[in-house]
Amino acid sequence: MKIIGENEITVDASFAKEIQKHCGENVNLCYQCRKCAAGCPNRQFMDFTPTELMRYVQLGMFDEALKKNTAWFCVSCQTCTARCPQDIDIARVIDAIRMIADERRLVADAGNVRVLNRLWMIMLRFMGRMYEVGLVGTFNMVTGKPFNDMALGKKMILKGKLKFIPSIKMPFTMMKMFSRAKKIKERKKANS
Amino acid sequence: MKIGYYPGCSLHSTGIEYDISTRKACQVLGIELDEIKDWICCGSSPAHHCDELLSVALPVKNLSLAEKGGLKDICAPCASCYSMLKDAQLKMTDDQTRKDVEEVIAADAPGDIEVLHALDMFVDRCGYDAIAEKVVKKLDGINVACYYGCLMTRPPKVTGKTNFENPTAMEELIETLGAETVDWNLKTFCCGASFAITNLDVVLELTKKILVDAQASGANAIAVGCPLCHANLDGRQIQINQKYGTDFNIPIFYFTELMGIAFGVEPKELAVAKHITEVEDFLQERSLL
Ligand code: SF4
Ligand code: SF4
Repeated sequence: MKIIGENEITVDASFAKEIQKHCGENVNLCYQCRKCAAGCPNRQFMDFTPTELMRYVQLGMFDEALKKNTAWFCVSCQTCTARCPQDIDIARVIDAIRMIADERRLVADAGNVRVLNRLWMIMLRFMGRMYEVGLVGTFNMVTGKPFNDMALGKKMILKGKLKFIPSIKMPFTMMKMFSRAKKIKERKKANS
Repeated sequence: MKIGYYPGCSLHSTGIEYDISTRKACQVLGIELDEIKDWICCGSSPAHHCDELLSVALPVKNLSLAEKGGLKDICAPCASCYSMLKDAQLKMTDDQTRKDVEEVIAADAPGDIEVLHALDMFVDRCGYDAIAEKVVKKLDGINVACYYGCLMTRPPKVTGKTNFENPTAMEELIETLGAETVDWNLKTFCCGASFAITNLDVVLELTKKILVDAQASGANAIAVGCPLCHANLDGRQIQINQKYGTDFNIPIFYFTELMGIAFGVEPKELAVAKHITEVEDFLQERSLL
């Protein structure tokens, strides 16, 4: 845990407001009870706990919240959301944090989570369904580890668990849906 | 009884055993599954990680396709698909979201459709008595740790489950099949899900914890209701053994496979040979193969 001296604190309320606009959740309700931190299965891999993450948002400490790995190592297990006594949907706040980092094109300690997300969405846009072999294959190429998980992959092939021909569903409808969603987003941004 | 079916991408690929066994169990129980025509991916975690609007629009598009096909209830066996569909329904109660989503799918929002996880479908729609009636082979000698993972029960505002910290529906079902179940701690702990692709260490650590706890609680098998949980618990045991010096060899069954076996469906037909951690010897020792 990082201890912050009182003099070091300048509160910038705009971060909490931005989060609320994104997802409707009011982070200021958090009273730092640490219940979310206590139940987080992935805590040991995170730079700091979800409780601290909430505090950083309240204080407007953008860099800590957006660039460190905590938000990116959240596995969206919903334990914190289910347990928060203040009824904050913490997992949703974390989704919003990830989206804000994306919008600002920030370099963050995100592991390869962002790469996977992007590839997945591109695949969906053009094929309508996720194609596991293509997804993992492309991911391994992009991240420079072409032989990642080969042993398991080989076993899966022998067992007939992998599908090698993608099924493509309604590519035109999908592309239209994606571009309409993009337009709505841009319109909203222009209006604010 | 006719119920709409949304298999989702995994059930057509790595989770194929779940698809096969769900269909078989339904056949025995007289449920007619009607697959939604031209269904698309629900978007899963990547959609809610990076696009608020599409994470609602993609599931709603599927509901709208279901409505077009005249379906009133939908069974989604994958916990992630189930959660995305239910969560989208909740978010659609917000007027602005509804308007935006209708614009994205270029259609009116679909009306009331009930989304059921496969476990809910069997338990709530058929009931334990009807299931017990179909059991022809008691699953003697299997001590099952029922693993729910995250999204079958959480968050309660989405799933509507009141006992999300200690769900017991799967235990009751498995006991109906003649197997025993164990009390254990990590039945709703996370396995790491799709981190298997991006940060394998996370999945190996979380999955190891689950296997350790199941075994320490006296289980000799684990039952799951999600293709991602199965992929991690079933597929990662060798890597876990290598990394942590353990010697896990625990069969991981979809709860629907156990239903199928108890209903007298040939395990071959259920495709249990596709598991990475092999289960044939385990079943043979118990005269279930
Ligand atoms: S559980 Fe809720 S109130 Fe408690 S520290 Fe976490 S976010 Fe704050
Ligand atoms: S949803 Fe994320 S932050 Fe919350 S408990 Fe799960 S992993 Fe931790």
